[in-house]
Amino acid sequence: MTDQTLDRLSAANPFPAGTSVDADALFDRIVLTSPDRRLASTPRRQRRTALVLVTAVIACGLLASAAYGISTLLGDVIGGPTVKAEYLKAQKQLTLPPGYTWPRFHWPQHTVTSRGAGGGFAVGADQGAWECYWVRAIHAGDVAAGRRAHHALDDLLTNHAVVAPAGASENWAPPNAEDTPLQVFADDGGYQYKQRMYADAAAGKPQRLEQSCRVNGPGS
Amino acid sequence: MTSDTDRRTAEERFREVFAHLGAVTAYARRRGSRDAEGIAAEAMSIAWRRLADVPRDEPLPWLYATARNLILAERRAVSRTAPAAALEPSYPAPELNDLDPQLGRALCSLGPTDREALLLVAWEDLAPTQAARALGLNPTAFRVRLLRARRRLRAALDEERRPAPLVQIDVEGT
Repeated sequence: MTDQTLDRLSAANPFPAGTSVDADALFDRIVLTSPDRRLASTPRRQRRTALVLVTAVIACGLLASAAYGISTLLGDVIGGPTVKAEYLKAQKQLTLPPGYTWPRFHWPQHTVTSRGAGGGFAVGADQGAWECYWVRAIHAGDVAAGRRAHHALDDLLTNHAVVAPAGASENWAPPNAEDTPLQVFADDGGYQYKQRMYADAAAGKPQRLEQSCRVNGPGS
Repeated sequence: MTSDTDRRTAEERFREVFAHLGAVTAYARRRGSRDAEGIAAEAMSIAWRRLADVPRDEPLPWLYATARNLILAERRAVSRTAPAAALEPSYPAPELNDLDPQLGRALCSLGPTDREALLLVAWEDLAPTQAARALGLNPTAFRVRLLRARRRLRAALDEERRPAPLVQIDVEGT
């Protein structure tokens, strides 16, 4: 439409704005009736919603911050300090091969695990060290050192390893884990694999021992 | 709504809406309502009862949409007593009695939505975004519709201006 046509249509407006009714009387009559209830209820509802939200946020915060504490209160669940204490205690009960040191222990903050895990870490580190010591001895042709390593590893399997019962949960902890550092094997043949590995190495087939050293040994 | 403060606040807000009573009355008249003042009063009553739904910044498009529904209801009521009356399905037809007949015919040739889009801008003086709101369209869709409606109206007016074809009569000489 050209402006001319638009002007023509606008100019053809048949009625001007206005009313002949008594606007004040009509206004008074209308506002005598009940107004929209939502106008009053909305702020209250918003306040109530805000209150519920704030309460929920506070509750979540309290739960989150208390989770760590609550979990450490439960018997078989321990936090970082306890894990570290177990690890240090285990170092006094285990023997590293000559020339090896205990690896530094890093534990993520606010993380929990099962009781005895610190001891289990120590046994694992000790086992890795002895396996590598044995590999070195084999490569160096040091038969005495090899026998010593074999003996130490058998001792670890006998006295510091335990196989979890079939179907036990991931968090299963042995009952005497506080007194003796124990490495927990799942009931999936891992323990028997280690036994075979050491027997093979003693029989002159150190391939799996070498592989285990590469994977589990110090610095791996 | 319980306290006097709440009621006073609502009344103040409603007073701003009520200031458009004259415009709503004129809208109803322009759309051919038999009771334009009644339609406007009812639109205002609805606005008071549903004040939370009325846009604070621009109540007029909401009021026009409400008035349009009331006018259509009025037409339906009339059609029950006079079934032969021609009805617009969605938008009331404008009052054409006082219009230039050529313009009236051109307007009547448009579809109801196109016509309402044009009239909301030309007669009710709404900006395209406001008119879009009154029709429940998004502004872009409304602009497209308005452009097409303008073209169609111009074409219809051009058609009106075109002289009637001459009829040639061959008369055999005597």
